[in-house]
Amino acid sequence: MAEAYFPVGPGLGPEENFLSLDDILMSQEKLPGRAESNLPRLAFALGQGSGAGSGDSIPEGSKLEIPMWLAKGLHDSKRRLISVELPKIYKEAWRTVFSADANVVDLHKMGPYYYGFGSQLLNFDNPENPEIAQCILQVTWPGTVFLQSGAVSCLTYPTSSSSLLKPWQRHFQPDKSY
Amino acid sequence: MEPAEAEFLAEKELVTIVPSFSMDRVHLIGGDLGPFNPGLPVEVPVWLAINLKQRQKCRLIPPAWMDVEKLEEIRDQERKEDTFTPMPSPYYMELTKLLLNYASDNIPKADEIRTLVKDTWDTRMAKLRLSADSFVRQQEAHAKLDNLTLMEINTIGTFLTQALDHMYKLRTNLQPSGSAESQDF
Repeated sequence: MAEAYFPVGPGLGPEENFLSLDDILMSQEKLPGRAESNLPRLAFALGQGSGAGSGDSIPEGSKLEIPMWLAKGLHDSKRRLISVELPKIYKEAWRTVFSADANVVDLHKMGPYYYGFGSQLLNFDNPENPEIAQCILQVTWPGTVFLQSGAVSCLTYPTSSSSLLKPWQRHFQPDKSY
Repeated sequence: MEPAEAEFLAEKELVTIVPSFSMDRVHLIGGDLGPFNPGLPVEVPVWLAINLKQRQKCRLIPPAWMDVEKLEEIRDQERKEDTFTPMPSPYYMELTKLLLNYASDNIPKADEIRTLVKDTWDTRMAKLRLSADSFVRQQEAHAKLDNLTLMEINTIGTFLTQALDHMYKLRTNLQPSGSAESQDF
């Protein structure tokens, strides 16, 4: 199809798609973390120290909310600059909720990019990586089932609180003509 | 494939009309049509039938399967079976929509027919979703579905393949990144 603009989808693996708008927005989501050593001139990037002119250094050990793109850039297992923690939704407690019933969770409230963000989290060496990856995978299918049955019963189709629907909204529109 | 494309293909099916005009045989690239004589039934493709009906030049005769009792049988048969039953026409949904939209005055009990066809459609779609669900949950590699029509395949096709694609990409996350990319240096 000769379209002028062909949207690039999110890369759902260890690498993001450079041209994907979804991935760009997703990488702006914040992760909790800590600075492991002095980070000179980085205060502006994290929105702190706005009154102290351009760039202050972040002292060692301070708690930070780092956007994903910055976290990926600063992550290095040899020179420990920052350490990141998993956001709540990817931790053990929520994983058991998902394995019980994925449909009860309002994923949108927890952060709009569950799949993409989760896939990027696997980049940081974390002992829980296999479980996180398994959980994200397991949540995918119940999400699509929820979406399919929602599309069929168009009158009750949930729009804003659509928990697992973010990757699919673009692709699946309820066909009301038949 | 879009629903509109499936409808376009459905318009090639033949349907009987009773024209109210006369015309000699017409030679088209796809085949011959006619001759048309007022009052004599003739078989034409649906696209021509709809066009003539809109210009009020013919009366449509519903196909043999578009009848309340037959459709009730089909609907009950579909509800009983676990697999898909053969449908009276590979384009039953599109033909129903076209004929009932443009020629409902020529079709007796049009509303009941619409309801019956919709019930059959809903049953088949529910079976399709169930089948896709068990396919994914049991992680099967191969599934075979008989007697599906093009419109049903279109409804689920793109979505199912994209869902499976999504899951495949997430599944590659499970493997530790041992395989280096070919362009690393």
